[in-house]
Amino acid sequence: MAKNITIFTTNTCSYCGMVKRFLDMKGQSNQVVNLDEVPERRQEAIEVSGGALTVPITVVTKQDDTKHVVIGYNLAQLAPAIS
Amino acid sequence: MELDKKDYDLVIVGAGPAALSAALYTSREDIDTLLFEKGAIGGLAAVTDWVDNYPGFAKGVAGLELSDAMQAQAERFGAKIELGEVSKISKEGNLIKLETTSGQITAKAVLIATGSEYRKIGVPGEMEYYARGVHYCATCDGAFYRDKRLVVVGGGNSAAQEGIFLTRFASHIDMLVRRDRLTCSDVLEKELANHKDKLTIHYNTTTDEIVGENGHVTKVLGTDKITGKKVEFSTDGVFVFVGLDPTTKFLEGSGVELDERGFVKSDTRLMTNVPGIFVAGDVRSGATLQIASATGEGATAALMIREYLEHHENMSTATVATLYGDG
Repeated sequence: MAKNITIFTTNTCSYCGMVKRFLDMKGQSNQVVNLDEVPERRQEAIEVSGGALTVPITVVTKQDDTKHVVIGYNLAQLAPAIS
Repeated sequence: MELDKKDYDLVIVGAGPAALSAALYTSREDIDTLLFEKGAIGGLAAVTDWVDNYPGFAKGVAGLELSDAMQAQAERFGAKIELGEVSKISKEGNLIKLETTSGQITAKAVLIATGSEYRKIGVPGEMEYYARGVHYCATCDGAFYRDKRLVVVGGGNSAAQEGIFLTRFASHIDMLVRRDRLTCSDVLEKELANHKDKLTIHYNTTTDEIVGENGHVTKVLGTDKITGKKVEFSTDGVFVFVGLDPTTKFLEGSGVELDERGFVKSDTRLMTNVPGIFVAGDVRSGATLQIASATGEGATAALMIREYLEHHENMSTATVATLYGDG
């Protein structure tokens, strides 16, 4: 299990809801950061993703504090990242 | 993710409007129905900002809201949606075997309702700057371009609708249209005209290359087809809406017949050439690519599947071939 998971989202991004639903189905607690509600964290999302201008961005922090960043709705990357 | 069982009456590949409509009908009739979705539940409708032409909504409806309602309605009657991918389908006797990210499962019938996905333009820079300046989902990524310049590539309904949506954020949009006219609906064309202050349409203009510096998109290079001269558009980002490609890669080796453009062929019952495998929605050859059409096709497919399943019990492979043809 991951130590913690943060999903950067916006109000109109349906793929963001898919990421949350997938994590919830896997029983992984997660924190949603809605960039429409907290635009001051937009730069943080861009930096953590290495410059991606997209959502969802999912940051998985593992037990050893290493971070795995998944850009977009990508189950092929997200599933192993949280295993 | 492990499923609680491996055998179903019906597996629907996809969870867009056609799939959800079919699932609503089949679940209401106690047909054990599982949907697999690798993208967004609701399909392209879910990532469409606003839907003005779906019956029953006098003032229009947000694509996401419409999708959520369709999902809730199908789930209310017991349809199960699995987030995952089907990678292979094969017919074995009277059953259909599916390889999925949740393991191997079998179904008595399958409905292909995978829809389509936005086509790439295939120019230099497109993949290099994917998600870092090149985008295919305005509702997802438009907010990153507040007060920035944008290029929208395309002249059809999606390009027009998403271009209008992006005017909420962008300081200016250059819309590059390869043809000498728009191919979107008249309503959208009129709506585009209301945004002339922010959106400039360039007809007869190809998109040749997306150029960047230091990891950021800076301009789009194109060609004016009338003069043959190279043209250049300074921009911070590019949104591409140049048509749709059917999602059918998982059908390779299945025996399901596709048309010359890769869409799935069907008969009047919406059944493919493989008995027990049906198709509905945007992925079907001849589909009109409308949400209303997709939901109608989903309902039709569900009724045809019910009829097929009624005959399915204790049917031999030879009987299936006699009743439904063998392709």
